[in-house]
Amino acid sequence: MIGAFSGGLIGAALLLALLALITAIRDRPMGVALLAGLAVVELALLVQAGLAVAEVGQVRERATFIGYLAGTVVIPPAAVWWGRAERTRWGPGVIAVAAFTVAVMTGRLLQLWNATA
Amino acid sequence: MNPGESADRAVRSGPGRMLVAVYGVFALAASARAAVQIATKFDEAPLAYLLSAFAAAVYIVLTVALARGARRPAVAACVVELAGVLIVGTLSLVDARAFPHATVWSGYGGGYGFVPLVLPVIGLVWLLRRRRPGS
Repeated sequence: MIGAFSGGLIGAALLLALLALITAIRDRPMGVALLAGLAVVELALLVQAGLAVAEVGQVRERATFIGYLAGTVVIPPAAVWWGRAERTRWGPGVIAVAAFTVAVMTGRLLQLWNATA
Repeated sequence: MNPGESADRAVRSGPGRMLVAVYGVFALAASARAAVQIATKFDEAPLAYLLSAFAAAVYIVLTVALARGARRPAVAACVVELAGVLIVGTLSLVDARAFPHATVWSGYGGGYGFVPLVLPVIGLVWLLRRRRPGS
């Protein structure tokens, strides 16, 4: 797992959460920009999971770490699935929650990683 | 149709959908955490970890009930959740030694930004406020 990459991922997820929040406040449904943003974040999460699993041996709390990894990868698709059915401002609301969660969970992953690295 | 029995679209659409998203996250986080705690170090604090598992179960029930628009189970689960946060939160402050290991509900959910305390209140407001116009 690479600190700079995960740091960038946290930044991107927070940016996406902000975008989604602005969309919700402007009372717009979910658009292509948010979908693309979610796709980029999901791609980055998959890369992060790949990097982390390759060296998971050095993490002490391995079960928790893998749980968080799996969780982050599952969240964006779930947000798309659940947000797509809602063509109001609350669709982006769901995405804001999801993106913020991804940012927090990536932060926890970094903590767990650095505790032993 | 009986408004209390039917699956209610008004519960799960609009703001309700966001509520489901937040509860879904908590269900996922709480059950993963409880599973790890019970699987790896159950002997250290059986009570705390069983409480974690119970909290996770409540979150799962709430997520499913809200997502399916089942109002009555959702209200019941919200009440259980609120009671759990208040009881466990108070006990963890009064008798810290009984709760040496944190659960989701310790210190009124302070470890999770007090979301566990605020969430059931928002949930109840949402569920009960929407009851009037329909009935």
